[in-house]
Formats: sequence, structure tokens, C-alpha cells
Amino acid sequence: MRILTLACSLAALMAASPLSAQTLNVASAGDQNMVDYVKDYLGPMFEKAHPGVKVVSVGTGPGDSGSQKILEKLDAQKGSATTDFDVVVIHQKAAGQMVKDGLLAKYTDKIDTAKLVSSEAAKNSLGADVSGYVMPMFQSQTALAYNADMLKTPPNSFAELKDWAKKNPKQFGYNGIKGGMSGVAFVAGWVYAFGGDANKLVQGPYDAAEKAKWDTAFAELKEFNKNAVITPGNAGTLDMLNRGEIAMGPVWVDMFYSWQADGKLPPNMKLKLAAPGMPGQPMYYAVPEKSAQRKLAEEFIALATSPQVQADGIVKKFNWYPGIDAKNLEGKLDKAAWDKLFTDITPTDLSKNAKPFPIAPYFNDILEGYEKKVAN
Amino acid sequence: MPLSQRNLALLLIAPGLALVAALFLYPLSFSLVSAFTGPDGGFSLGSFRKAWELYSGDVVFTVVIVLSSCLLTGLMAVVIAGTLTLGENRYIVGTLKALYRWPLFIPFIVAAQCMRTFLAKNGLMNNTFVSLGLMEPLQAVSFLDWRGIIATFVWKQTPFVALLLAGALASLDRATLEAGRNLGASRLRVLVELALPQVMPQLLVALVLSFVTMLSVLSVPMMVSGSQPTMLTVDMAFRINAYGDYSTANALGVITYLLSAGAAIIYLKRGMSQESTR
Repeated sequence: MRILTLACSLAALMAASPLSAQTLNVASAGDQNMVDYVKDYLGPMFEKAHPGVKVVSVGTGPGDSGSQKILEKLDAQKGSATTDFDVVVIHQKAAGQMVKDGLLAKYTDKIDTAKLVSSEAAKNSLGADVSGYVMPMFQSQTALAYNADMLKTPPNSFAELKDWAKKNPKQFGYNGIKGGMSGVAFVAGWVYAFGGDANKLVQGPYDAAEKAKWDTAFAELKEFNKNAVITPGNAGTLDMLNRGEIAMGPVWVDMFYSWQADGKLPPNMKLKLAAPGMPGQPMYYAVPEKSAQRKLAEEFIALATSPQVQADGIVKKFNWYPGIDAKNLEGKLDKAAWDKLFTDITPTDLSKNAKPFPIAPYFNDILEGYEKKVAN
Repeated sequence: MPLSQRNLALLLIAPGLALVAALFLYPLSFSLVSAFTGPDGGFSLGSFRKAWELYSGDVVFTVVIVLSSCLLTGLMAVVIAGTLTLGENRYIVGTLKALYRWPLFIPFIVAAQCMRTFLAKNGLMNNTFVSLGLMEPLQAVSFLDWRGIIATFVWKQTPFVALLLAGALASLDRATLEAGRNLGASRLRVLVELALPQVMPQLLVALVLSFVTMLSVLSVPMMVSGSQPTMLTVDMAFRINAYGDYSTANALGVITYLLSAGAAIIYLKRGMSQESTR
């Protein structure tokens, strides 16, 4: 299917090139909604402002594996004069690797909107220095979703959650680590809470001996899992919440709001970001070093990170948190849309409990530790 | 120069042979080499050690799931094919004939998506039972675990096995079956003692093919059940997507080859012993 998509895009590209002077190829890792965002929203807007330019949007698949495909493609084309992609939308894990391998261009000093970003995520990607190479497209966050009719006071911390799950067996559900990132985020949050120093995992430097400290945390998680339901995937957790089969579970905030807006989740569902916090991650806009349309690519990203587009597209349409600093969106967004994003999780909660994922080597250690000590 | 018979034959099978070599033998040897290669490039059993350390439970889980699915599929197929061949009520036979092949045309991924809502705790099946008054809502349990995987596999593979079996049963000499009936054997007894022994090889082929198919399905365990424990296909996908670790994924692949080779050997052995007794 993916090959078919790529082939179709390629065919469209070839058909389109004689008609228009320039083509801007945008490759997005991530779910279909990210591809649609460029194809249906951002692309047409950019084409309108730049007559004669055609924006082609290609998806490379969800999750880190989608970014991995972009990395492999750029790496394979290292020797050629130009790459097929002009703008890439990538995850954190791959961004660090691409900067290290010299596959990306340093461009943020050439666009004005770079001044609107002050977040740590724009400089540091899971321990790798990426400042100058990336602009955050949006910030996404995981949190615990719960059914407010079934429990009035949600747990404030992971320790409270542990007790709550013991008293209410089979009411908490998450998707393990093989069924999507919301489960991975929950496990990372668990290690932050019970595995020692969370800051060290987020900031580094990497110390291979650190993982020995997580043994008790994993043993407790194995015990916790006996009272938990393992759901089939990110959507599986939301499905079970919707059918009232579980009362609480970790979800992506944007998916949660989108499902609620579509009527696939009842309005009595709420979100909670329990202490010490759960991870979130940005998606990055980057320009490949060998892009044939460097100038256009920069203009495209400047448009995508402008306050108006961030307000209308990112926040209002897709329920993501803005990639640029939130204060720049004031006045661009009606109050209802703004409030909706921060109803359950306030900006204070976010600044206190929204954590990045651990740096890449710790991240892999956590996943493998889970496989070894919890799942098998 | 006119082609000799022999050269012509070689020429004719060349495209097929090239296809097998390029699309099967090359990737097979590639993954075998990768599974036995250590991080330093030399020969190593490290990937297998890792695979066993992390996924031994999943290997057992996979074998149990696939074997029990095969067993249930065989049973269901015998019931369906037996009814089609020996059934005397033509309405039942007609309806069954019209219905039983349907799952053949439905892809695994679609079947899995349907089961996801059908078998859930508050899903279609339990809700139907509750509204019919057959069950209290509190008694509802979720089947979205190993039972869900087995249910999906059996539902999907039964028509395939039944199709082959019904064909074999239809080509049997009716006279022996009718002789049995005339001598007073019940239909069940005719099926079990007269008909089935004659079509055992066909049943076994169908089950071995089902075994290998089920071993290779990724979508069903991924969509129907949670990931702990899970089947080897999911572990392989995870190994590659999360760590980019092809050698452990290939080691799991080799374990899967061995499992399916086991099924093939059982089948071949049985075939040969039958040849020799004949």
C-alpha cells in the first residue's frame, strides 16, 4: 500500500512537473492526519501565496519507523546532487541521527518565526543538539484519560495510581509497549516515577549502569499489570474507555480531543497529567541538506510556523499544542478554542508535568528492560 | 540452431526458477546470515540468546495458539464437510453450502477489525446476549486476548479446510458409505470410521497449510489482543520499528522457519509411511 502511495505520488509528481515551474515535496512521518494536514490545509495555502508552485505531500508511515524511512532515503541519496524531499516532518529519535549524519541543513536563522520558539525541544532532541536544524511543528502530549462518572477524584501521582489500580482491578488499561506510543509513554512515566532520577534520563549523559536501578520499578510494574488490562493499541485504549470497559488509561491528548469532537468518546471523559509527569514529543520541520528548493522550503516552514497557521491549523483543527511559544498565539484564537485545549490540563500542569521522552540510549534500555523483566 | 528438448525445458522453467531464487532463496539466505551475525560482523549466536531471553514466552504462546487453532479448525471443518456430504436435510445443507465459504473472501485485517468490536467486553456479541436476557451485564468478559486470536483464526481458516475436505469427501466412493448406512451405522459413525480415514491426507495438507498461514499473520494478534504475551510476528515488527535491530528480528524469523519446517516434516513423514505400506 505504501509503495502504491509512493508510486502514485511519484506519478503525480511527474505529471505535474511540466505544468508548474516548481514542485515542493513534503514528506511526513506520522499518521494519516499529518499527511492530510499538509495536503488539504497547508499545501493549498502555500500554493495560493506562491503561484506556479505545486506542493506534493507524501506519508512514510506512523511512528518512529516512518522517520526511519525518511532517514534511509536521505542517506541513500547522499551521493546524488539533490534529494527527492524538500521538507521533511520527522520524530525526535530520527532528527538527532540525521543531524549527526549531516543529512539536514541549518536553516532556522533564515526564517523570522524561529524567534517565536523558546522551548527546549527546539534545541535538544532526546539528548542530541539540533538547534538551528529544526522547527517544532507542534507539541504533542500524553496524559491519563478517565471516566469522570466512574471516578470523581483521579489520582494525582503515579504512586496514587498504583494504589487505585490495586483497589479497582481491571479498571486501568494501557497498550503495553508494542501497540503504540501512548503505552510507551506510560512506561516511561512509570520509570520517571519509581526508577530514580527522571532528570538524568531526560538530560543525560548516558550511563549504562543506570538501568540497574530500575529493577524494583519493573517488578512493581509487573505486579501492577496483573490488575491492568493490556489493550490492543492507542485506539484500543480509547475504544475501551468509550465502551466503559476501563475507567482510566493513557492516551495522546490530540487523539483524545479529536475523538471526543467526532463523538467517538462520551463528554464525561476527562484528562489528568499525574505527577511526576508523562512524556510528550514534538514533530519537527526540517530541510534536507541536498534539497533542490531550499528557498521555497524555508518559506514553507515559515508559513507553517506563523502564529496564524499555528492557531488555526495546529490548535483549532487538529488539537495539538502549538510548536511555537503559546503566548504568540494570543489574539489569533477565539477563547473557546483556547480554553478547550487547556480545560483539563492547565498551562501550569503542562509546565510542571509535561516531560520529554528519555534520551535515546535510556529510551532503548527502558523498552528492552520492560520486555525482559515485565513482559516475558 | 534448433533448441533441443532439454534446453527448451530449461528455458521454460527459467523464469519461475529465477523468481523463486530472487524472491525467496535470496531473502531467506540473507536473513539466515543476518541472524547468525554478531554486532562485530563475525559469527555469533547472540541474536538467538537475546531472542530467547526476551521472547521465550511468546514462542510458546505462538505454538499453543497456532496448534489449538489448527485443532479447532480441523474439528469445525470436519463438522461442516461431514454435514455437506452426509446431511439429509436439504435446507440445512443448502444454507450451509451458501454460507460457509464467505470468510475465505475476507482478509485477515478486516476480520481482525470486526472481531475487535464483536468480541469486546461491551461489544456486539456480549450486548446481544445481554439484550436477549441470556446473560447479566456484570458477567460479560472480554475475549480480546488469546481467545480472540484463536476465534479469528478458526473463523478465517475453517472454510479453507472445509472446502478441501468437502471436495475430498465428495470424490469418495459413495457405495462404501451407503453400505455402512445399510448395515445400520449412524451417520456420525460413517463419517468418523468410514469417510474420514480415507480423506486424512487431504485434511492434513489443509491443516499444515493453515498452520503456516496462521504463523505468519501480523494483523490479527496486533489488532485483536494486547501485546503481552503476543505472537512472534508482532515481536519481529517491534524489534525493527523500535530498535532497528534486524538481526534479532531475523533470529525470530529463523525460529518461525523451524516451527513451520516441523509441520512440514510431520506431513512428509506421514506421506512416506503411507506410501511404504501401500
